[in-house]
Amino acid sequence: MIGFILFSIKRAWQGFWRNALMSIAATATMVLMLVLLAGFWIIQTGLLSALDFTEQKVQVTANLQLDATQADIDGLETRIKAMPQVTTVTFVSKEQALARYQQLSKDQGREDLTQYIDENPFSASFEVALVDPGMSQTVADALRKDPAVRGVLDTKDTAQNVKTVTDLLRTAGTVILVVIAVIVLFIIVNTIRLAVFARAEEIEIMRLVGASDAFIRWPFVFEGAMVGLLGAAITLAGLYVLADPIAHFMVDFFRVLPLSFGSLTRDLVVIVVGAGLGLGILGSWLSVRTYLIR
Amino acid sequence: MSLFATATATSTSSVRERLRRRSREQADSDRAVLVLHDVTKTYPNGKTALRDVDLVIPEGDFVFLVGPSGAGKSTLIRLLIRDETATKGQVVLDGQNLAKLSRRHVPKVRRKIGIVFQDFKLLPTKSVWENVAFALEVTGTPRKRIRPAVDRVLALVGLTAQREQLPSTLSGGEQQRTAIARALVHDPRLIIADEPTGNLDPLISWEIIQLLLRINELGVTVMMATHDADVVTALRKRVVALEEGRVIRDEVGGAYHRAD
Repeated sequence: MIGFILFSIKRAWQGFWRNALMSIAATATMVLMLVLLAGFWIIQTGLLSALDFTEQKVQVTANLQLDATQADIDGLETRIKAMPQVTTVTFVSKEQALARYQQLSKDQGREDLTQYIDENPFSASFEVALVDPGMSQTVADALRKDPAVRGVLDTKDTAQNVKTVTDLLRTAGTVILVVIAVIVLFIIVNTIRLAVFARAEEIEIMRLVGASDAFIRWPFVFEGAMVGLLGAAITLAGLYVLADPIAHFMVDFFRVLPLSFGSLTRDLVVIVVGAGLGLGILGSWLSVRTYLIR
Repeated sequence: MSLFATATATSTSSVRERLRRRSREQADSDRAVLVLHDVTKTYPNGKTALRDVDLVIPEGDFVFLVGPSGAGKSTLIRLLIRDETATKGQVVLDGQNLAKLSRRHVPKVRRKIGIVFQDFKLLPTKSVWENVAFALEVTGTPRKRIRPAVDRVLALVGLTAQREQLPSTLSGGEQQRTAIARALVHDPRLIIADEPTGNLDPLISWEIIQLLLRINELGVTVMMATHDADVVTALRKRVVALEEGRVIRDEVGGAYHRAD
C-alpha cells in the first residue's frame, strides 16, 4: 500500500514535469479560477458583514418625556424588556445624548452648536434593538402608546428597505457563487482532460500490460491534487502580496463598519486550498475515467 | 466440419476413430491456452466483424493469423485482451471465460498476455530498461523482483547493451525487440504479435520472426497476425485464415495463400 502511494506520487511528479507546458496551463487556469472564487468570496463576505451591521442598526428609539421620573423610566424599561421582539435595551441619559452629539460634531468637523445654549436640549431615551428588523413597526406602535414616551423615532421604512435589499443580495450572492463554482469545475476538468489526453498513449500501454484501474487513476489524481495545491499556493501568495491594498480598500469602502478580517483570512485559506485540491482531484478523476476499462 | 480447429488431418471414417479423435480434441482444449467457441462479434453500429469463430490454440503452439484488412484480425485480438467482449459465444483464456470476468479481474488476465504492435508503443521519454520495467511497475511488482526480471528478458532479446538508450536512438528492429521484451516480462501464457514486422524491412523482419520462434521454443504460445506472405509460407507453421469474419482455413504447415 505504501509502495503504491509512493509509486503514484512519484509518477504524478514525473507526469507533472514531463508535460510541463500542459501542467503550467492547467495550473494557470487553476490560479485564475481560484482568484475569481477568492475575489468573489472577499466581496461577498464584506458585503454580508455590511448587511449584518446595517441590520443591527435598525432599531427603535423611544424618547422619554422631559419630566419623566426615575420610576417612570424603570417601569418603561421593564415593559420594553418584556417584549418578545426585543433583544437589548440601552438607556441613554440626557447627559449621554448631549455628549454623543458633541462628539459626533467634533468628528465631522462641525461646530458644536450646543455651546450657544445653556440648557441640555436632549431628552433621555431608550434604544431598542430588535430580533428581526421586520418587527420594528410592532415595537414602535406599542411604545407610542406608552405614557412615559414622548415620541418614537421609528426607522420602519429604512428597516423594510434594508431587509428587502439584504435578502436579495444574500440570495443573488449565493447563486452567483454556485454558478462560478460550476463554471470553474468545467474549465478545470477540460484543462486537465487535455493534460490527460496528451498522455493517452501511456495510459493505453498501462492498460495493455495489465495495470489495474487504481494504478492508472491515482497518479493522475495526485497530479491533479498537485496542480490544485500549486494553484492554491500561487493564489494565496498573490493575495498575500495584495492583502494590504485590499484591506485599505475594504476599510475605505466599508469605512463605518467594524469589520473583523481575522476570520476572513482563515476562511480564505481554507476555501482556496480546499477548492484547489477538490477541483484538481475531481477534475483528474473525471478526466481519467474515460480511459479506464469499460 | 470439425468443431475444433486443431483437428488432425486424418480421413478415417470409422466410428471408433472419430470417438478417439473427439476425446483427444477434448484433452487438447483442456490444455489449451485459448479457446474460442462459436464467437460472433457485432459492433454497436451493426457491423459484424466476426461470425461463428471456433479456434483452439494449445499450449506451446505457434499460429499465424492471416487475412485481408477488415477480415476481423484486429477484432479477434481485441476480444482476447478483453478490450471488447463477444456478442455471442465464448472466449476462454487459460481456463477463464472472459465474458464472465468482472472489471476488476481484467488486468490480471491481461498480464497473462504479452502484446506486441506494429508501431511498438514504447514510451519515448523512458530508456529501454525503463520501458520494460514500466510493465512491472504499473502492475505493482515489488522493486526487488523488477530488476532481475527486466535484466533477464533484455538478455533474452539481446538488448542488454542498449538498456540505457532511449527508443528514438534505436533501430526499428531494436525497438520491436524492446516491445517484445516488455511483452515477455510478465511471463505471459500467450504472446500476441499484431503485424510486428509491418514497419520493418525484410531482413529485420526475419530477425524479429527468429526471436518469436525462439521464445516459442522456450514454451510460450505465440499468435502472430501478419500480411507477410513470404514469412508465413516459408515457416510452414499453423495458419488460421480469416475472411469477412469467418475462419476460412485452419491448417498446420500451411502457406499464406490457400494451396489450390
